[in-house]
Amino acid sequence: MNLKLNTRNINDLTALIDLEGEVDVYTAPQLKQQIIGLLDSGARHVTVNLEAVDYLDSTALGVLIGGLKRLRERDGTLDLICPNPRIKRIFEITGLDKIFDIYPSEKEAMAKLKAKEEA
Amino acid sequence: MASETVPSVVELKIPSRPEFVGVARLTILGVASRMPFSYDEVEDIRLAVGEACTTAVGRAKRSNKMDTEITIRSEISDGKLTIKVEDRAGPMPETPPVSDSPAELDEQGLGALLMELLVDEFTVEATPEGGTLVSMVKYSG
Repeated sequence: MNLKLNTRNINDLTALIDLEGEVDVYTAPQLKQQIIGLLDSGARHVTVNLEAVDYLDSTALGVLIGGLKRLRERDGTLDLICPNPRIKRIFEITGLDKIFDIYPSEKEAMAKLKAKEEA
Repeated sequence: MASETVPSVVELKIPSRPEFVGVARLTILGVASRMPFSYDEVEDIRLAVGEACTTAVGRAKRSNKMDTEITIRSEISDGKLTIKVEDRAGPMPETPPVSDSPAELDEQGLGALLMELLVDEFTVEATPEGGTLVSMVKYSG
């Protein structure tokens, strides 16, 4: 199974990446390129939607951590939407749930992001 | 039905390239499903084997040994699934201890951390052939 990516630009500084499928050593480079592209175009807040992801490995975690670090360097954020307990568990057992803000729905993620932007 | 006391072995060889790691995951999913594991346990095994192959593919790429193969050997016996993932892509860097700051781990470190957390027994050794042998055991019940 492959990975499908769809990026939605919420505004000039904010984008949401919807992922569907498997994010692994084969497909994670696509996500990395997408995040780098958003950084290059000036995005400061990126939310990655893992709702339709059914497999995620250490390569994907590495890409997300890399994106988070780069965005934080410019006072930005990289948040996750992850209602799937199986995928969320990977963040929990590795302790990465303390590094990322993980939301159960797009609605909650966008509400929190709006609050952050206004802060 | 094969007797529980006779070990059942499934062996698979894949090229050391990213696009084949999914094949290893699918195979181990089928093997693990032969045992009375829970859904979560089967998923843990799938991820652990995926990580073992991913670290091999990463080392193969860095050492320019992508023409080598990865062998995944799984053995079912008496409530125990033993999986051995062997490559010829050089030694694996030392396994980091479970870290307080996982964000500081690189992908190899995260992969090793996941394998350690997902199976009941996990060992890594360098092979005489210039590769790495990852051994993992998961008990059912």
